[in-house]
Amino acid sequence: MLTIAKGRITAAERACPLGIAWFGDGQVPDRVLVDGKPTDVQRAVDRAAALLGEARGRLVVVLGAELTASAYGAALALADALGAVTDSVISEPAAAGILAAQRRGRATATLGEIRNRADLMVYWAVDPDRRYPRYRSRYAAASRALHLAAGDHPRTVVSVTVGGDAGPADADLRLVLTPDQELLALAELRAGLQGRHLGGEALPPGVAELAGRLTQAKYVAIVHDGEPTAERRTPERIEGLIGLTQALNGPTRAALSTLRAGGNRNGAEAVSTWQTGFPFAVDFSRGAPRYQPHRRAGGADGSSPSAVLVVGAPESLSDPLRASVQRVPVVVIGPRASAAPFPATIAIDTGVAGIHEAGIGYRLDDIPLPLQAPLPGPRSAEALLRDLLARVATASGAPR
Amino acid sequence: MSGARLRIVGGTVHDPANGVDGEVRDICIDDGRIVAELPSGTPTLDARGMIVMPGGVDIHSHVASSACNHARRLLVEEHSASPVAAPALEPGISPGRSGTGGTLPSTFTTGYRYAGLGYTTVFDAAVAPSTARHTHAEFDDTPIVDGGFYILLGNDDYLLRQVDAGERDRARDYAAWMLEATGGYAIKIVNPGGVQAWKSGQRNLTAIDEALGSSRVTPRAILETLADAANTLRLPHPVHIHCNNLGQPGNSTTTLATMDALSGRRAHFTHLQFHCYGSGPEGKTGAWSSAARQVIERVNGDPHVSVDVGQVMFGPATTLSADGPAQYLLQASSGRKWTNIDVELETGCGIIPYRYEERAAVSSLQWAVGLELFLLATDPWRVVLSTDSPNGGSFEAYPALIQLLMDRTVRDEQLKRVNQRLLAGSALADGLAREYTLNEIAIITRAGPARLLGLRHKGHLGVGADADVTVYSREADLARMFSLPRYVIKGGTLVVEEGQLRRAPAGRRLRLAPKHDDAVVSDLRRFYDDYGTVAFDNFPVRGLRDAPLELG
Repeated sequence: MLTIAKGRITAAERACPLGIAWFGDGQVPDRVLVDGKPTDVQRAVDRAAALLGEARGRLVVVLGAELTASAYGAALALADALGAVTDSVISEPAAAGILAAQRRGRATATLGEIRNRADLMVYWAVDPDRRYPRYRSRYAAASRALHLAAGDHPRTVVSVTVGGDAGPADADLRLVLTPDQELLALAELRAGLQGRHLGGEALPPGVAELAGRLTQAKYVAIVHDGEPTAERRTPERIEGLIGLTQALNGPTRAALSTLRAGGNRNGAEAVSTWQTGFPFAVDFSRGAPRYQPHRRAGGADGSSPSAVLVVGAPESLSDPLRASVQRVPVVVIGPRASAAPFPATIAIDTGVAGIHEAGIGYRLDDIPLPLQAPLPGPRSAEALLRDLLARVATASGAPR
Repeated sequence: MSGARLRIVGGTVHDPANGVDGEVRDICIDDGRIVAELPSGTPTLDARGMIVMPGGVDIHSHVASSACNHARRLLVEEHSASPVAAPALEPGISPGRSGTGGTLPSTFTTGYRYAGLGYTTVFDAAVAPSTARHTHAEFDDTPIVDGGFYILLGNDDYLLRQVDAGERDRARDYAAWMLEATGGYAIKIVNPGGVQAWKSGQRNLTAIDEALGSSRVTPRAILETLADAANTLRLPHPVHIHCNNLGQPGNSTTTLATMDALSGRRAHFTHLQFHCYGSGPEGKTGAWSSAARQVIERVNGDPHVSVDVGQVMFGPATTLSADGPAQYLLQASSGRKWTNIDVELETGCGIIPYRYEERAAVSSLQWAVGLELFLLATDPWRVVLSTDSPNGGSFEAYPALIQLLMDRTVRDEQLKRVNQRLLAGSALADGLAREYTLNEIAIITRAGPARLLGLRHKGHLGVGADADVTVYSREADLARMFSLPRYVIKGGTLVVEEGQLRRAPAGRRLRLAPKHDDAVVSDLRRFYDDYGTVAFDNFPVRGLRDAPLELG
């Protein structure tokens, strides 16, 4: 519940500290810049259409954060029309998680299932209180849970610390692993479900205890961080977590809950998936979507574009992406575009999804939620993108 | 050509809902509807020598849902293998969109491909209520076809509470509220109680009187409650039932028991093929045989029962179902990659890429069982076509399926190739000579589904009907004929012209808003406040483009 006075957010009830910071006072810049100079929207859109049209086939469209699902859809339509390559602000570990799930599948649950069923919460190298301050109170420590016996402590909490990635401090069982032990521990836990022992004598005794707790639980939720943390992870780690969770669905029930960065990243991936078949890194340059998850726009092996269109909040771009946009003309359409931390040829400020723009946002478990627009914003990102699409289509004479 | 008026001239019309079976007639279209006459000088479309049918109506497919999108994400190999360029649409309208194909194409491609087969109406058969917003968003990006969906009830915690308490009126009001709140069209029941059992550690419910935990909830009680709710609410389509024990040998016993439990009530049994397996000789545990004859004879004799077949077609498929326990068993037996998603307070979801092989005994049995259901059915209005796309195969296999039904020679040739191990004693192996007529095909693909769905303006070409029309060139190769319509008209717009997709207007949303006692809303609000994670006021999908259809 937001309190608004004189066009500003003055309070955000029930929001966590991260949410309060995200809302701020709801003020965003409202500027339109071409070559750093103020101009009107139509002139900027005209210029953007020309610039993007010239880059047809050699354009990168970056789906940034903080837009509605339909705005991402409009951006993808534009990318399709221009034969662009899309990228997103997905982090390397998050991308590795998606790729692992594409190889193996996964066993997961929406957050309400965890709230109402999970009697064993395993925080694997993540402290939810720091990462998602309301995760536990809303989903994992709710006082009322439909399928858990009443009582003060119906859930057992396990904290797994891996190197510098610590679990919650108030766990019932604490397991401390070095980064070198993590994969072995995951393999040992999985082997244990099949009555096998891999000979992980170097592992701490807590691994065996955790193995027992996992099989004794009715519903296990393993929570991990899908985003970068203190410890650098290998793709095998997420494979191990997925494999363990899937295997637990023989002897008991289990779900893997992945914490992601916010800003409707899940929404961008959902729309990209239904429009193209792929969640990110889609190459339209040959006239139809091709998946290039290992050839990201900001990566060392990515080809050099002629121009970049950043759709969404520009500060959400990763360092490699920021570096790549230094070299070419850039159009930024999104919240705080005019304050982009890199030079933008054209910058058009829009509102933030959920503050100034209504639509659909996706929770980290892919539940679609309605986003409200409690404050008026500068202008709609979706409308701008559809305007650009119309101009690009007109300029090309006919759609492909 | 997208004018408001059009006369389709001289085609051979198959419009079984209006008793027209292969008569040469003109079809007149004005402002998106079929009309009796048009003034002279109206633009014409020459259909002489061609076959004219209403646009196809798919009663059961999986095209636009959160589950579909999770499946798309999993199917990276088949999408990578099937990039699809944008169609060359008429200039001056929104550009066509590229996409990917496979068993679960991307949304724009889905719309184009359905229309390209002459289908103009599609229902997604399984949407978790909390994800209905997503389904609407996908349908917004699925052009041409009118779309609707069924909401998953029957494993949802609130409903099961009402069933346990014997609160059938409240259950009815809840179902009505859910349909309105989600913009859904019908009630879908998947493995009643079994998905809840899977999520609760009970694994499954395998008999219709097996209790869920220590409660009074049984599949029978769930089925009766929701069937009565749908019928009392006078929903145009009755409960759409996926029985317990999908895909298991010997499951015909459960299927017949479910039909008996609902005897006298309207009910639709979906993808019946997956529920018609007998045991082996002498009831050997774990063995398979066809029980199609026993089940279809039960269907034939009960006018309250309708079914879609869920035919298996050889080739790639994706099993995609709210039936979490069935999918768990399939991954255990197949070893394929597997996604499982438990959806809060509502249902489950399992996804497995799959392939039906002629050389595989069970695949061959499934193929034969589906054909037996079609060929032994006596009333095509109640036994309609589906592959449970993409579970039994893609909707793009419909033309090949139609050919199998219409051409015994083609069918028998394929029968010779398939694995015979489990076919001994099956009706198909014993020889079924029946060949469907064009009129029967028009019934099982258009008129029948529309009637079963209560869509008064669909599936026929009478005055007042939606101007959804498909025109086929006659060809000896029936699969080719049905896969390449010469013309397709959707709502009066010529979308396929000379076999090419030329226009892609937005489709309409088909939804209902049944009346209910508002007392259920306050009770539901308390329930969601206590156990939900989505604010109750955020649950209903608002701002939908098309008004709900009128009931009654």
